[in-house]
Amino acid sequence: MSPLMWDVWERKAREQPVREAIVHWDAIEAPHVWTRSALLDAALRAGTWLAEAGLDTGEVCALVLRHHRAFYPVYMGVSSLGAIPAVLAYPNPRLHPEKFAHGLLGMAERSGLDWIFTTRDLEPSIRPLVVHGKSSIKGIFLLEECERGGVIGSEPRPDLLERKRTAVRPSDPFLVQHSSGTTGLQKPVALSHTAVLEHVERYAEAIRLSDADKVASWLPLYHDMGLIAALHLPMARGVPLIQIDPFQWVTAPVLLFNVISEVGATLCWLPNFAYNFMADRIRDEDMEGVRLDSVRMFINCSEPVRADSHDKFYARFSPFGVRRDGLAACYAMAETTFAATQTEPDAQATRMIVDREAIARGIVALAGEEGSGRVCVSSGKAIPGCELKIVDEAGDTLPGDRVGEIMVASVSLFDGYRNYPEKTADVLSDGWYATGDYGFLHEGNWYVIGRKKDIIISAGKNIYPEDVEDAVNQVEGVLPGRVVAFGSEDPAEGTEHVCVVAETAFDGEPEKKRLRMNILRAGMAMDVTISRVYLVPPRWLIKSSAGKPSRKANRERVLAMAPGGSGDRTE
Amino acid sequence: MISERLKQVILKTLELDDFDFREETIAGDVPGWDSLSHVKVLMAAEAEYGVRFKTVEVLRLRNVGDLQSLVDRKVG
Repeated sequence: MSPLMWDVWERKAREQPVREAIVHWDAIEAPHVWTRSALLDAALRAGTWLAEAGLDTGEVCALVLRHHRAFYPVYMGVSSLGAIPAVLAYPNPRLHPEKFAHGLLGMAERSGLDWIFTTRDLEPSIRPLVVHGKSSIKGIFLLEECERGGVIGSEPRPDLLERKRTAVRPSDPFLVQHSSGTTGLQKPVALSHTAVLEHVERYAEAIRLSDADKVASWLPLYHDMGLIAALHLPMARGVPLIQIDPFQWVTAPVLLFNVISEVGATLCWLPNFAYNFMADRIRDEDMEGVRLDSVRMFINCSEPVRADSHDKFYARFSPFGVRRDGLAACYAMAETTFAATQTEPDAQATRMIVDREAIARGIVALAGEEGSGRVCVSSGKAIPGCELKIVDEAGDTLPGDRVGEIMVASVSLFDGYRNYPEKTADVLSDGWYATGDYGFLHEGNWYVIGRKKDIIISAGKNIYPEDVEDAVNQVEGVLPGRVVAFGSEDPAEGTEHVCVVAETAFDGEPEKKRLRMNILRAGMAMDVTISRVYLVPPRWLIKSSAGKPSRKANRERVLAMAPGGSGDRTE
Repeated sequence: MISERLKQVILKTLELDDFDFREETIAGDVPGWDSLSHVKVLMAAEAEYGVRFKTVEVLRLRNVGDLQSLVDRKVG
């Protein structure tokens, strides 16, 4: 019989009890090393505590925690009794508490969250949601009550937990992860024990994972790249993970390299913006004594892979040991557990320069000379157990070198969005998942070049323009319904920025300045940084055939007037 | 108290016209001061004052008052 994830963790702990499982890294306090056996013991204690506190088999327990050494045993503890963990983002200080509560309530309704495990500081925001009319949330578990005097959980009762697990089948949900996004539009993806285990085995094969590997990561664990690639892959395969606090990394990006250098890490997943961010923000003085030769793959994923970003990163850090053949790429999504494609180990992600005009017509043709074409970076080949195809608008399969929507079939495909049959029906058909991404196949390599939807990916975070438009619409001075939000590529930072065009009747400079600031604040309240605000007069925005302001047409219009420019457009 | 010099460094980095910075102001209060631009602000302050902040020092900053104190210690 196929195992549950817990069985695999138990086996690894038996086989290698004193091997490092997770090094919980903290740049201010000393790192905490979880060996396999210590982690399992703590997970049994946490699981017992949770069971005694009311968590039951099959229930969903959301974890909303900062970077904390107790996270890992608590996460495992949820699974130890056959309950389902769902890691949610700890709210950024700029996120308004009401927005946080509203988003959580939306998720609770959709995902069927039964319990929230969090810390006392968030209790005032979350407590009102318990026994709320629409909410399924039964109660809150507090870390401060689960961990007392530095000891996690309560006296372990492995028999109790084992009895509870007997009701769980490998095809049952093991975890719920949410497609990243802003508020109520996040979609819950339930993945079975089998899906995750199948995935880590096959993905390990694709990257030739071995016992000699070590993963270094700052990635947040509410994101599939952090949760599956950086946490579950090493845990299920017995490879150590060194987990850095995402907030510490973004404040001091050299921390990742300090860790890699100190422990000799070999694998590191990064979203594209991080390549530019580190190249721009880490100085030579910070790199004193740091070596990166141990890394065999820096894997670029979760944002469109940009050749410029790889080149910048390589030029900046090759003197410290970064290898060109270590610049890898991957195409992944929560719906396929994680990866669908992966570039070959020991080989730089393949590039090709395509003719811009031809590709706009959906045809892949090599550009005549460098500089005139668009550089596309491959995300590699399909990983074992995964199949891809390109389809046209009618759903018919296209041959190689033709652009269309990417469809994925996989042994680790999700069964559908939890409690969301209408969204599931939109994207899942006959075992194929419609990704909403545009791409093509060329000489066996898959290239992802755009998106069907208007989603903005900024610094690895998915932002829905509808959310931003709704928020800006509430700002006094903005004409109702006369707003568009879109993403604008910033090659220097290797990511997209959020731009807003809003119609206003305001004419004077002081009131427009105030309005601009209030629009920025409306973004802040939902934890979205709006980089550019274009204020335009009434009836400026171009409407689509449906009568709504068109994002595409207005994006083109405003960028043509102010390419990369800042400030207000008022003509 | 937040000096005019530090205030101007922050405003210029974040491309803001003006902001009423107080000691207790946190990055999340200021438009455009997000996690990615935080390092830009710190680097701009280092360049302005000709000082270097250590990793642990920047990780301990909680608000603009802390940043002002750090700068004052460094230049003092």
